Amino acid sequence: MFYQQISPIKFLAWLAVCLTVTDLSADTKLTVYPTQIRLTGKAAYQQLLVSASEDGHELDVTGKASFRSADPKIVQVTEGGRVQSAGDGKGKIVVEFAGQVAEITVESIRSAEVVPISFELQVQPILVNRGCSTGACHGKARGQNGFQLSLLGFDPGFDFAALTREGRGRRLFPADPRRSLLLQKGAGQVAHGGGIRLPVGSEDFETVLRWIAEGAQREVAGEPQLERISLYPEFRMMKPQQEQPLLVTAYYSDGTERDVTLQTQFQSNESVIVGVPKKGLMRAGPIPGEATIMARFMGRIATCNVVIPLEGKVSADLYANLPENNFIDGFVWKKLQLLGITPSDEISDAAFMRRVSIDILGRLPSADEARAFLADKRADKRAHLVDALLQRPEYVDHWASKWMDLLRPNPYRVGIKAVLNYDNWIRENFRQNKPYDQFVADLVTAQGSTWRNGAATLFRDRRSPDEITTMVSRLFLGVRLECAKCHHHPFEKWSQEDFYSLAAYFSRVGRKGTGLSPPISGGEEIIMLAKSGAVRHPITEKELAPRPLFGDAVVIPETEDPRVALVQWMTSPENEYFAEVIVNRIWADLMGRGLVEPVDDLRVTNPPSNGPLLKALAQHLREQKFDLKKLIGTIAKSHVYALSTVPTERNVSDTRNYSRHYRQRLRAEVLLDAITDITEVSDSFSAMPPQSRANQIWTTRVSSLFLDTFGRPNPNQDPPCERMPESTVVQTLHLMNAPNLHNKLTTDAGFVARMAASELPAEKIVEELYLRCYTRLPTAEELVVARQVFEQSKDNRRQATEDLLWALMNTPEFVFKN
Amino acid sequence: MKSRTNCEGVTRRDCLQLGMGGLIGGGLVGALRAQALAASEGSSRRQAKRCILIWLDGGPTHYETFDPKPDAPLEIRGEFGTLATKVPGVRFSHHMKKLGGIMDRLAVVRSIRHNQGNHGAGNHYMMTGAPPRIPVGCGAFVSFHPSLGSVVSAECGAPEGLPAYFSLPRMSRSGGPNFLGAKHAPFVVSDDPNSSGFRVRDVALPKGLQGERFLGRQDLRKSVDRLLRIQDKTAGDPALALDEFYRQGYQLVTSQEAQKAFDIHQEPDKIRDEYGRNSFGQQALLARRLVDAGVPFVTLYQGGWDHHTDIFKRLNDRLPAFESTIATLIMDLERRGMLDDTLVIALGEFGRTPKVNERGGRDHWSNAMSVMFAGGHTPGGQVIGATDRKGYAAVERVLSPENFVSTIYQKLGINPGKVLYTPEGRPTHLVSDATPIRELMG
Repeated sequence: MFYQQISPIKFLAWLAVCLTVTDLSADTKLTVYPTQIRLTGKAAYQQLLVSASEDGHELDVTGKASFRSADPKIVQVTEGGRVQSAGDGKGKIVVEFAGQVAEITVESIRSAEVVPISFELQVQPILVNRGCSTGACHGKARGQNGFQLSLLGFDPGFDFAALTREGRGRRLFPADPRRSLLLQKGAGQVAHGGGIRLPVGSEDFETVLRWIAEGAQREVAGEPQLERISLYPEFRMMKPQQEQPLLVTAYYSDGTERDVTLQTQFQSNESVIVGVPKKGLMRAGPIPGEATIMARFMGRIATCNVVIPLEGKVSADLYANLPENNFIDGFVWKKLQLLGITPSDEISDAAFMRRVSIDILGRLPSADEARAFLADKRADKRAHLVDALLQRPEYVDHWASKWMDLLRPNPYRVGIKAVLNYDNWIRENFRQNKPYDQFVADLVTAQGSTWRNGAATLFRDRRSPDEITTMVSRLFLGVRLECAKCHHHPFEKWSQEDFYSLAAYFSRVGRKGTGLSPPISGGEEIIMLAKSGAVRHPITEKELAPRPLFGDAVVIPETEDPRVALVQWMTSPENEYFAEVIVNRIWADLMGRGLVEPVDDLRVTNPPSNGPLLKALAQHLREQKFDLKKLIGTIAKSHVYALSTVPTERNVSDTRNYSRHYRQRLRAEVLLDAITDITEVSDSFSAMPPQSRANQIWTTRVSSLFLDTFGRPNPNQDPPCERMPESTVVQTLHLMNAPNLHNKLTTDAGFVARMAASELPAEKIVEELYLRCYTRLPTAEELVVARQVFEQSKDNRRQATEDLLWALMNTPEFVFKN
Repeated sequence: MKSRTNCEGVTRRDCLQLGMGGLIGGGLVGALRAQALAASEGSSRRQAKRCILIWLDGGPTHYETFDPKPDAPLEIRGEFGTLATKVPGVRFSHHMKKLGGIMDRLAVVRSIRHNQGNHGAGNHYMMTGAPPRIPVGCGAFVSFHPSLGSVVSAECGAPEGLPAYFSLPRMSRSGGPNFLGAKHAPFVVSDDPNSSGFRVRDVALPKGLQGERFLGRQDLRKSVDRLLRIQDKTAGDPALALDEFYRQGYQLVTSQEAQKAFDIHQEPDKIRDEYGRNSFGQQALLARRLVDAGVPFVTLYQGGWDHHTDIFKRLNDRLPAFESTIATLIMDLERRGMLDDTLVIALGEFGRTPKVNERGGRDHWSNAMSVMFAGGHTPGGQVIGATDRKGYAAVERVLSPENFVSTIYQKLGINPGKVLYTPEGRPTHLVSDATPIRELMG
């Protein structure tokens, strides 16, 4: 995969490459980038960046350094370090800072040659860079006020036609280029909804003007292709408020290169941590953290990772002495050390039991289970607990219901029977603990009747190759291709051709039987291999052969379902996305935050907070033959998993490196089941057997005000996302006052009535309540408070029990996984 | 496996909003925002503070309500006659007596049309202002774009602790928040306010818990709540948000003012009778109480307008009570001085076919529909647009669902041309054609 890891080794290696500087003093090192310059054509230029390093910390000093050209006839340099060609030949720039000197060699060729303006290489980047072809303007699907450009310039042919031919050719006026509508609008000389984009006299204005004057050519003879871009620096350790200029270089097929920093768009993934206040400059914010800066130039992407460590020093011993239960801990400690963050304390046995039961089973431990675990004297009782939990049947419902979130189709669309079969199929897979790669393979290659093979429902729901492709790539590869359906992906390298070539694997999914007939859609449909089928590129209309997103396409025999080849590619060890996205999902569930967020969006511009850990977890899952239980067990047994949510002074603002546990509100189903277990009063759900748990509900059509209030994904939405993790006032009102919950507390048939009527002394009731709600015994102080409740309403133990239980269930200790 | 597509994730949203701004040179988004701001402050004064949307699910007939065609052949004009309204020259179908009597307060648009002839798609188009992105079926409950109510919830908010978007007695099909996130989903009150024991769920205390006992419970809750809060904002402790919601919830439950708003039994019998002692009537009354308390958007849902059979008999049964309730609501708002800043709208997903079918019903027809507006500085006494002489199609001042929702947004002070960002970072216009219906703008 393509993550650019922030490793100290890489950082040093990179330093070594950059340092071509002589005459270094002991403590300050001077770095100039680039070290060699080749300028091609008239008025070619290249900005230089100078930095000084002290203590391994790089500081930009471009503004303070002095620049001098040794050969002004060949090359000139401004005060700010901008190098420009003046004549052909080889020259030298001398850079000086604080008594240190560095020399840069410059080669200048074809310096007198006026090359005609190229539409693709020069004009289109201006339209992109000036915001003309963004999604909110002319780049949106229907254009803006009749003028449409391809989004961020991914389709040069389209844009060229839009400028030169559409609108009866009124946008360009070669006879008097300045009167071209394109320029007049852009310069605000005639009314333009988007304001002034191309000020008269600006370099960009002149470029477009010259292009029109030269005859607005589509292509210049022998024009090279853009091959890649680079961003300097690729990695920086920064201090709060520090600034660092950025340089983007474009490399072309004829071996030339160009400084395109000013034509590049920059975006930070955490603009509070590191922002891009203006083109080509990043600035660290006030707080420590990490960020990735993305540079995009004509569909090419490059990134720079920035780390701002916490100020102050932590001794290396502290990290060396941290416990390592398994490989996870080592990777986390290493990252914390880089950032200068220290981990929180380990949680108590009681808190561990509550946390791990919620995570693995989606339920709270019973009071008896809690008592037994707390009394267990074995040193490794936590590991035993994890193993035991993984064998319990509740695991199946809990984890299957998470997959239902992701897969569950709209019952009004596919029919209720198909949804039920699908649900059963998923639960059966978890019951068997089918290896994850096999689970995915069976689903993606599903065939047969939707009444017999629940997995086939996927293809009843997603009917066209493009619909199924976006879903499969997002769920199982963490690659979001929705964008590439209609245009080049704006944050990634995926093109429409990539997308439709992948979609071609589904070109021969055939169907017979009864199709969709909403809102009942009751019929049976059979998914099978069709005799033929094709996917075409929407613009070129070329028929595309199945091709994976990367790697080589294998030849698929006529008789074989292309989906089999797809699954082989997806699940092969070379496809790192496959394992990474599932370990990331599971990690996010257990740890409160994904290594990559959003969990299904793996891309170089959205790097993981701990890349080596993600890779190691993925490797572990492959070694365990995609046994998800093993992976869950490994995470739950790590020391990192058992860290407290209570921060230390040095980790309070860490929200992504797992130096402490992050609180999560219980999922709607888990919370409802918890209340049901505690009160011993179950809900009666429609279309479910009596005593069913919320985690067993197989369709959101089973109504539940509680589940709606606390959020469950709505498959009627597109996309069906939406498991809201946050709290709302509506939820608190529901917990406080909902008639249904009130009934669970007060009914004669419930736990409260039974306790109150029992012979148990008040303390024992209190103890039972605390164990049920918090998986712990009350403290002495808490016992005092609780006893007062019973004393105040002496004759009414039932009311006292109700009130105490109500109070316990209306606290964050209950509502959250701590 | 939580589907953390992160519809509401702060980090991501921050990245997208600020980041996209930075991405395009700080310029475009900023410029658009500035424009939007200028537009919403300058040219368009906020005309309404709240909106009651009466949603007639199934698609009410335009012939038997606001757009009768007495000169059309019998198989088109149907069984009903027409009546004169308070505005000379404007005639309604013969059951619309009370609404006809207050025609000077109403504006009826007869010329909204679209191309989505099934319930799922029609609902979506009218309720969100966006056509469904893919073909959807008749029974579909789909959402590709935030609904009116959810947008108002996100943009206007409500007084502390109060949900900003109510839907009575159920959510309309495409009435969801889509990418705005579940906190802008409607608060549904499904219980029948016409029943004697009615209380708004969750907002009212359970029986036997009022007074001392509830206060005692609150104190007890505070004393058993021992979880350490991480006060440092950068830690993002969700328990702090929960505390805030408990504070708001507690306030709502204990504030007599707030409780009054929800307590329909406080209403004098005379008023309750006027609204009609039926579910819909009392829901309309509750809607009035809710907007009075500061809720900016209430959807009043009524199903069963899909009259494929026996339309005249069914309307004979239904229309009198129905139109009386709406007229009462409008006049009640006026009496209380609230009509000026309360927008009342009644519509469904489309109109119905000109020719009465062999089962005595009318089928789906999206080529023409009538929409009623009142209040919120809507100039009254006007009919906007017209259908042809047989009611087949909107022919004069033809308007779209986009114009319709833009009018509502504009009146509520929300710029319909605003650019929203989906969690994918995709910019999308709140309404693709942000032109409001100018005749309705005061």
